[in-house]
Amino acid sequence: MPESAGRQGYQEELETLEASALDGLNLVSAALQRTLEAIEHQDVELAQIVVADDDRIDGRYLEVHQALITLLATQSPVATDLRLISALLHVLKSVERMGDQCVNICKVIPLTGNEPPSDESMVKLILGMGSQTRSLISQAKRAFAERNVEMARDLVHQDDVVDDLNRDCFRLALAIGDDADQREWAMTMLLAARAIERIADNAVDIGEQVAFVVTGLFREFEDASHPTT
Amino acid sequence: MAAISQHPGGVKLAGGILPKWAPYGVYGGSFVLVGAVLAAAGSFTVALTLALSVLVACAGIYAWSRAVEGPRRAVDRTMTMLIVAAFALAMIPLASLIFEVVKRGVPGLSWEFFTEDSRGKIGGGGAAHAIVGTLVITGVAVVISVPIGLMAAIYMNEYGTGKLRRALTFFVDVMTGIPSIVAGLFAFALFELFFGPGIRLGVMGSVALTVLMIPIVIRSAEEVLKIVPNHLREAAYALGTPKWKTITKVVLPTAFAGLVTGVMIATARIIGETAPLLVTTGVVDSMNADPFNGRMQNLAVYAYNEYRSPGVMKQASYDRAWAAALVLIAIVMILNVAARLVYRRYKTEIR
Amino acid sequence: MLGAGTKRTEEGAAVSGDTEAAGSTGTAAPAPPAADGTAARTIEARDVNLFYGGFHAVEGVTMTVEPNKVTALIGSSGCGKTTFLRSLNRMHELTPGATVKGDVTLDGEDIYAAGVDPVAVRRLIGMVFQQPNPFPTMSIYDNVAAGLNLNVGRMRKADKDAIVERSLRGANLWEEVKDRLDKPGSGLSGGQQQRLCIARAIAVEPEVLLMDEPCSALDPVATLAVEDLIGELKSKYTIVIVTHNMQQASRASDRTAFFNLEESGKPGRLVEIGPTETIFTNPTQKATEDYVSGRFG
Repeated sequence: MPESAGRQGYQEELETLEASALDGLNLVSAALQRTLEAIEHQDVELAQIVVADDDRIDGRYLEVHQALITLLATQSPVATDLRLISALLHVLKSVERMGDQCVNICKVIPLTGNEPPSDESMVKLILGMGSQTRSLISQAKRAFAERNVEMARDLVHQDDVVDDLNRDCFRLALAIGDDADQREWAMTMLLAARAIERIADNAVDIGEQVAFVVTGLFREFEDASHPTT
Repeated sequence: MAAISQHPGGVKLAGGILPKWAPYGVYGGSFVLVGAVLAAAGSFTVALTLALSVLVACAGIYAWSRAVEGPRRAVDRTMTMLIVAAFALAMIPLASLIFEVVKRGVPGLSWEFFTEDSRGKIGGGGAAHAIVGTLVITGVAVVISVPIGLMAAIYMNEYGTGKLRRALTFFVDVMTGIPSIVAGLFAFALFELFFGPGIRLGVMGSVALTVLMIPIVIRSAEEVLKIVPNHLREAAYALGTPKWKTITKVVLPTAFAGLVTGVMIATARIIGETAPLLVTTGVVDSMNADPFNGRMQNLAVYAYNEYRSPGVMKQASYDRAWAAALVLIAIVMILNVAARLVYRRYKTEIR
Repeated sequence: MLGAGTKRTEEGAAVSGDTEAAGSTGTAAPAPPAADGTAARTIEARDVNLFYGGFHAVEGVTMTVEPNKVTALIGSSGCGKTTFLRSLNRMHELTPGATVKGDVTLDGEDIYAAGVDPVAVRRLIGMVFQQPNPFPTMSIYDNVAAGLNLNVGRMRKADKDAIVERSLRGANLWEEVKDRLDKPGSGLSGGQQQRLCIARAIAVEPEVLLMDEPCSALDPVATLAVEDLIGELKSKYTIVIVTHNMQQASRASDRTAFFNLEESGKPGRLVEIGPTETIFTNPTQKATEDYVSGRFG
């Protein structure tokens, strides 16, 4: 129950929930950071920690989600408040998906075995994707908090970088050679790269929600079924 | 413009209108017409002409309006004319009365009239004793009636349920219809029981007037108390207020203006009662302001007396009788005006 | 038909999301005193049946009104919620022919016991009505002090001043009227008049406040102001409000009780009572769900 009663309490509760949802992005960014470290150093234990920690992200999702539903039921929000709550529900979903993607990556790391990586450049690509994605997450968070539509739209361009790196990974994987172990390793790395690319797409989705809150219109910045290029 | 004024159902928005002076003109014309006809027939009188020309004017305005404005407006105008004529008819007696009383009463007014009584003054004297008597007798009646009537009204409105209340309502209804002479005889009989026949006191007149006044006070007080909205009482109860306190501190103050007005109007009603006072207070020529000691004169009986037994200077007596009537009417008017002023000053806006 | 997993109950019983079965509560322990020492109290109704003469208006209500909380009574017109509310402070019996069967206890004491003075009950359980009704012959000051003037009798002016100011502050009205305390109460706007009535009610320091549709005569801004006030007041009082505005019930209350009338001529019943969030997100009774979603009629 909010500390203050009535309208003030409602506003405070809404602000608190927004902060909580956005803070979920911090949790995701940290999880991604640890995931990247685990890839870099082949650290299976670290990967397991990330998987276990995902419970925190899921817990955050459930808690904020339930509170938002209650707010919808009890306060009958309209206009910007209603759009904000709807956007936060989407953001929460994205946060939860991002966390799950980190878990997916960490689950495949043990499969790469204990040998040194077959292709250093591929690892570098993936780490580069990861770091770019982390900056995407941070930009999405700032864009939402500041309600900055321009910054949100820019996420598309930032995401293009990640998409290009992903394509490069794919080409490298194709050219890896005939060794069965190497090919297996490359496929595993591709899975990781794909997961990172999905995380970046989720960040772009958050950007679209920023535009919805501010303008009331929901339009996909970049629609996979209607490619602009 | 055609689109606005031509409705598909045949209703026209715009149409002809009679000029503003039409009703007056029609009546004036009728008056002249009827007057001429009656004069020619040799039986012209103003009253007859006025009455007949109303009928003629109604027919005239109906025909004219119907031709210009349409049937609906024609009926409207005719009814208006009839109603105004009825109002004028009702006003005529009142105007005539006031006119006559003023005309005949003013000659009787004088300084002497207001300051002297008639004791020992042959053919002269004044009505001071009557004026004082009227005020005293009515005053005592008010003092007795108001508490009784108010408390009865409070009982009936706030406490009463069932049989006793229905019985009370019935008796109040009966009392409003008592002829005033009966009230006077009741007071006479009552005091005769205790003091023997031949007793005449000012207070007997007050008792008779009380009998007449109480039902009026109860009626009007009940109406005023009913108007006090129930939610005010509920608000007081919800604060944990006992019932009697709610009545005295919330209901009565809210109803105050209406109650005072009711009392004043009841007073104006009984102040001119003659018959009961004739049999109870007696006729006397000297000033007496003590209601418990002997006969007391009052304006109504005084006027009657001066007219019936005029004494040596007839015209002067008649003049004084008319003057007494004029003073009575003036007192009643003052009371009514005062009632309105009190109401306006003290009324509470109840949302 | 609700999905699997929701609890279904029998006729007449009231169940909430956190299992509050009808009739199972014994006398509750007295509530701990609120911060400034006034103990807000628990009201318990046990099998309350209300009649207007021979007409059975409300049947078999059993519920607990928890201290320092706002309980909202909702339901369609004529379902008995106002009748039930008025039975909590013995105002129901003021209607000629109205009778009460069953128990209503205030912290364990039966307010309908023989020998209990209804006037005393009403001093402990105050009421605010739908139509703001300040006494028209009294000034603002006298209106707030009316409860004191009418009940307590002689009081030192300084004490009375302090109580009037405290009550007006408590009703969020002090700043707006402190310069015109001697003006008549009818000169205020509707929302201000209602807050004046609230100040009047709390001036006698009741322990429970009953409110019968307090905002239905007010415009939306005034309504929100009064709702904010109710939220602040609950820290000192137990509050029960009847409202036909569901958004108000969902915004302003902690617990909600849903009353229903099956068909006209039959008595109204309590269908469900529980935390407001549960009633509006996941009620257990289908009738409740239909009502709050607006699917009635």
